[in-house]
Amino acid sequence: MSLEEPLPDTVQEQSADDLEALLGDLVIGREEHINAPGFVIRPDTVQESLRRLRDDAGFDHLSCVTAQEYEDRFESIYHLKKFDDPTQEVSVVVPADKENPVSQSADAVFRTADWHEREAYDLVGIQYEDHPDLRRILLPDTWQGHPLSMDYDQDQPQIVALREHANPLQEDHRSETDSDTMFLNIGPHHPATHGVLHVKATLEGEQIADVESDLGYLHRCEEQLCQNSTYRHQIMPYPDRWDYISAGLLNEWAYARAAEDLNDIEVPEYAQIIRTMGAELCRMAAHFLALGTFALDVYGDFTAIFMYAIRDREEVQNILEDLTGQRLMFNYFRLGGVVWDLPEPRDEFFENIRDYLDELPEHLEEYHDLVTGNEILQLRTIGTGVLPPEVAKSYGATGPVARGSGIDYDLRRDDPYGYYDELDWDVIVEDGCDNYSRLLVRMQEVEQSARIVEQCIDLLEDWPEDERNIQSNVPRTLRPDDDTEIYRAVEGAKGELGIYIRADGTDKPGRFKIRSPCFSNLQTLPEMSNGEYVPDMIAALGSLDIVLGEVDR
Amino acid sequence: MGALALQTEQLLPEQIAELLGLSGVPGEIVGGLIGAFLIANIMLTMTAIAGPWAKRKITAAFTDRIAVNRIGPFGLLIIIPDAVRLLSKELIVPEGVDRPSWDLAPIILPASALLGFAVIPMGDLGPVNIHLADPEAGLAIVFAFASIASVALVMAGYASNNKYSLMGGLRAVAQNIAYEIPLIITALSVVIFAGTLQMSEIVAAQGTALFTIAGVSIPAWYAFVNPFAFVLFLVANMAEIGRNPFDIPEAPTEIVAGYQTEYSSVYFVLFYLGEFIHIFLGGAIMAVVFLGGAAAPIPALEFIPGFVWFVIKIWAFFLFTQWCRSALPRVRIDQLIEIGWKGMLVLSFANLVLTAIIVGVII
Amino acid sequence: MIGLLKSMATTMKHALDGKTFTVEYPETAPEVSPRFRGVHKFSQERCIWCRQCENVCPNDTIQIVQDDMRNGEQYNLHIGQCIYCRLCEEVCPVDAILLTQNFEFTADTKNEFVYNKEQLKNVPWYKGIDPLNSRNPDRSAWVGEGDGEIDYQ
Ligand code: SF4
Ligand code: SF4
Repeated sequence: MSLEEPLPDTVQEQSADDLEALLGDLVIGREEHINAPGFVIRPDTVQESLRRLRDDAGFDHLSCVTAQEYEDRFESIYHLKKFDDPTQEVSVVVPADKENPVSQSADAVFRTADWHEREAYDLVGIQYEDHPDLRRILLPDTWQGHPLSMDYDQDQPQIVALREHANPLQEDHRSETDSDTMFLNIGPHHPATHGVLHVKATLEGEQIADVESDLGYLHRCEEQLCQNSTYRHQIMPYPDRWDYISAGLLNEWAYARAAEDLNDIEVPEYAQIIRTMGAELCRMAAHFLALGTFALDVYGDFTAIFMYAIRDREEVQNILEDLTGQRLMFNYFRLGGVVWDLPEPRDEFFENIRDYLDELPEHLEEYHDLVTGNEILQLRTIGTGVLPPEVAKSYGATGPVARGSGIDYDLRRDDPYGYYDELDWDVIVEDGCDNYSRLLVRMQEVEQSARIVEQCIDLLEDWPEDERNIQSNVPRTLRPDDDTEIYRAVEGAKGELGIYIRADGTDKPGRFKIRSPCFSNLQTLPEMSNGEYVPDMIAALGSLDIVLGEVDR
Repeated sequence: MGALALQTEQLLPEQIAELLGLSGVPGEIVGGLIGAFLIANIMLTMTAIAGPWAKRKITAAFTDRIAVNRIGPFGLLIIIPDAVRLLSKELIVPEGVDRPSWDLAPIILPASALLGFAVIPMGDLGPVNIHLADPEAGLAIVFAFASIASVALVMAGYASNNKYSLMGGLRAVAQNIAYEIPLIITALSVVIFAGTLQMSEIVAAQGTALFTIAGVSIPAWYAFVNPFAFVLFLVANMAEIGRNPFDIPEAPTEIVAGYQTEYSSVYFVLFYLGEFIHIFLGGAIMAVVFLGGAAAPIPALEFIPGFVWFVIKIWAFFLFTQWCRSALPRVRIDQLIEIGWKGMLVLSFANLVLTAIIVGVII
Repeated sequence: MIGLLKSMATTMKHALDGKTFTVEYPETAPEVSPRFRGVHKFSQERCIWCRQCENVCPNDTIQIVQDDMRNGEQYNLHIGQCIYCRLCEEVCPVDAILLTQNFEFTADTKNEFVYNKEQLKNVPWYKGIDPLNSRNPDRSAWVGEGDGEIDYQ
């Protein structure tokens, strides 16, 4: 179901000064980030400020929490947006003491702050007061030091005494005297965790009393990798490796968008169309895989649907291979454009895509026969894994997860980039809030992506030959001004994929922060599965469509 | 008709005893043992074909793949390396398993299924009538043997000292209890028609023609006489043998592999065998009770031996389970129990009562 | 019930149409795009030892050793560590390093994946396709069999 374009004037827009007036004496300073005004507040007024911004100004989306260390202070930045209009942004900057970095937790206002602040504590070392459960999240509990803090010694060996190195699986063998619950480790090696996720489940019979996700098995500190790489060339290969389920171009776009806005780089229109086309092909591939693995979770071992989905994805990948030269790790975008023009002979390339798009409706019909029309599947998925919209918003859920909960939020339309606002397509929203809705959203988004791709190739085909400019002129070394900060997001396959960059005057970022949609989406798992049966928890996990490479980064 | 002729023939052990010139008790014992050995080997051969080869080929066909094709014609010889591979693996015995029952479970499962074949009339192959025993309560015995399997599953689940196994074992019991009753009640409706529990009699009762259209006579198989009971029985049977959409005791994506999570090497092979023999036993029961046993569907095809028809029928059932596996999602355990107790049970009783009335009034 | 039957009919249709989409590798080697990025090929004759590839490589895969006159002595590339981003080829001013489409390589240990310049030179073209030729049709310098003797040494 497609909804009307939102009317921009229905969302009240406040100027920076209005907001400052609203926050009143909470504000102790102002900053300008490229994307939004920033208000500096005292570390003990975080909840108060965020609550005011949420309740009185409508900033109901805590997109990301960035933590970083400066020479003289620690700092947490809360990037706030509105679900109704994500172009309205505000940053709440919370400096913390260098010696004793303590800052109030925002968990009471936005549930999503829970994990984001744990990550900030883990990697940077800021202590959050009133946080319900301030533990490490990505690194093991026994890790010494905070890798993104300034005094962290890379070469320090991580020696853990045996007594500290508790076996996480041991205690569950002894249940508390006469409890009725059973503790069950699902993962890190389990057929349904889509990678290396460890879910600690407490069961009451077959029902879930509590689940807790244990992340970090795939943590590579991609943020640090990017901080050690140059803007111009070296960062671009890495986004492919966050959401590595063939959503590479979408991820590359997130970095490209942030870095291009930071460095004032224009992208030629022709390149924008190629980007849009490539990105939507990636989205189709990613959604096909999501469909296939979800079917795997619900149907059981090696169902035919999985293979059919892989077949369709394979065809998309063939097209992407012709375009980019690789099937997964594309490294196709460059700042200011793309690296290659469409492959020669162009007609053949267009024809391949057209053939594929022509077959698509038939294949989708088949999926509807196989999946959505199947009564047992409906029995399994309708009304299970329910995620009400308010909860989804509070957890910062985005992408198909949010749209399956009736939240009409899609950055491609609401915060346009690329060529999307010139094209004719719809945002898919389903308001069932359950596993079935999320499945439907993905399947219909494939159709919409096909529409976009079709329009793109029409445009590309007619593009005059001498105006095929795939890259603008970009200097070989990029050195954005010291202390410029930007946060930009794109609609990735799983939701809002945001990049925060702080420049420090060199050719490498001073701080590079990735807002991963899977990370926020996964946080909703307990809300969706508590009280449900184990199979429904597995289905809910499947319908979240997480990729651990992006969760753990 | 062939099926009618069958019951006058001798059973397999008697034939063997005669051949060996033995009589009396020694003849019965030797004949029985050799007969059982032969039948067990037939079943094991079928399993060996089904497990490593046919299942792969069938799954591959449904999923548009090629599958085993390198060793031997159509890859058939994969069976040998596969057997060697599986048997040569290390048997891992996890810490804290409950030893005697952990070892017994993988033996009980295939054994119980094999025992079931003792009373199944498998038709004739030339002069040989492949039927080990024909007790009067044959149908009851075959159900009794088949349901021993759930004991094996519980033993395996409990003894493995693994939570996934335990859940698998518990699910297996819940499922078996919920579906055993509809299964037997539905079979009873056939018993009412046939008026006997003896397998050969049930087969013989299906030997007449139901009606004839344009020269083609439809046999009085109970699947045609009472299609409703047939469908009920089919569904309950799928649940009984734990195949999709009722593969809940294993449910790979939920509880890893259920009761067999901790088994490896030979024990794993035994479980695997047991499951396949169980599918075949399920198919055999279907064939005997609803599909006219070893009879040919039309008289014109009677030149093909009955045993071949019988094998075709149980393979058709195997194929059907694989077909379901490719297309049907697994139901949730609570939904399964609900379908079992609220749906199947009621329907099977309704079927029974209706059959009883019809048989009482008409016949 | 209708939905279930439809599902089953769909898979049966697939089973009966006899089409497969997997191939028998290695008998049927996959077609790769001319842009596909595989193992590198290096030409010492072309290289001007400018070290740009070494600099741009995001994960220090390339190691160049020069003598004190800045003449190149060694060119080592760890193809097991490489992420096949093609940045080295992109920055090389003389096309001395380029990525062939060859993806078939094995080794017993990780260390064997450290290729020196001789090994890099001997990397064969995949199915005889010269990638640069197809990538960039106007650079005729790269036409050739690529057997390491005639053209590309
Ligand atoms: S392809 Fe990339 S990673 Fe590999 S050597 Fe070249 S620059 Fe380095
Ligand atoms: S960039 Fe090219 S010329 Fe320069 S050192 Fe590398 S291979 Fe040689």
